[in-house]
Amino acid sequence: MSDLLFQIALILMGVAMLLGFYRMAKGPTVVDRILAFDAVVLCTVGLTALLSRWWQSEFFIELILIVSSLGFFGTVAFVFFLQESLPYGGDEKPHEKEEES
Amino acid sequence: MQELLSSVVMLIGAILIVIAMIGTVRFPDVFCRAHALGKGLTFGLMVLLIGLWLDPYSEVSGLKIVAAIFFQFVTLPVASHLLSRLSYEKNLPRYRNPTSSPKE
Repeated sequence: MSDLLFQIALILMGVAMLLGFYRMAKGPTVVDRILAFDAVVLCTVGLTALLSRWWQSEFFIELILIVSSLGFFGTVAFVFFLQESLPYGGDEKPHEKEEES
Repeated sequence: MQELLSSVVMLIGAILIVIAMIGTVRFPDVFCRAHALGKGLTFGLMVLLIGLWLDPYSEVSGLKIVAAIFFQFVTLPVASHLLSRLSYEKNLPRYRNPTSSPKE
């Protein structure tokens, strides 16, 4: 019973990561892609927590701290880079494109 | 018994994370997506790490899990807020309700 619930949780985390990859591939603006990248990194953190229980190992908790801090600093670096280089109003108009298609 | 409790709590966390990612896919706007990610994913990861803490056989010390939960609780809303602020400053295209009358 416990193992079944745990495997359902693992499958759900995989589905969440696939949804993040879909948004990263489709995302209309650059900010959407950065957001999806942050979400995929945090799904990796969740999978690391699940596998740390699966393998009964104590070494993955440092990996959780390191990976989540890497995702956060990557997001902050992208935001400070885009504050200077992103044009006003964005470079794409996603809603008009969705209406056309 | 405690193992079953840990599994149930981790499953609740995984369901919350999937709900947050469905919101990230289906919402029409950068601001709505940042809202879904900043609330749902934070709470889901916190519940998932609490479920790891409840496991009786794991040898992870509790203080490290508390540090990880605190780090998620601090950094994830900050990243979501930074992205929303960037897209507000750059005036990215946002979703407007088509049925409501415009104020201008």
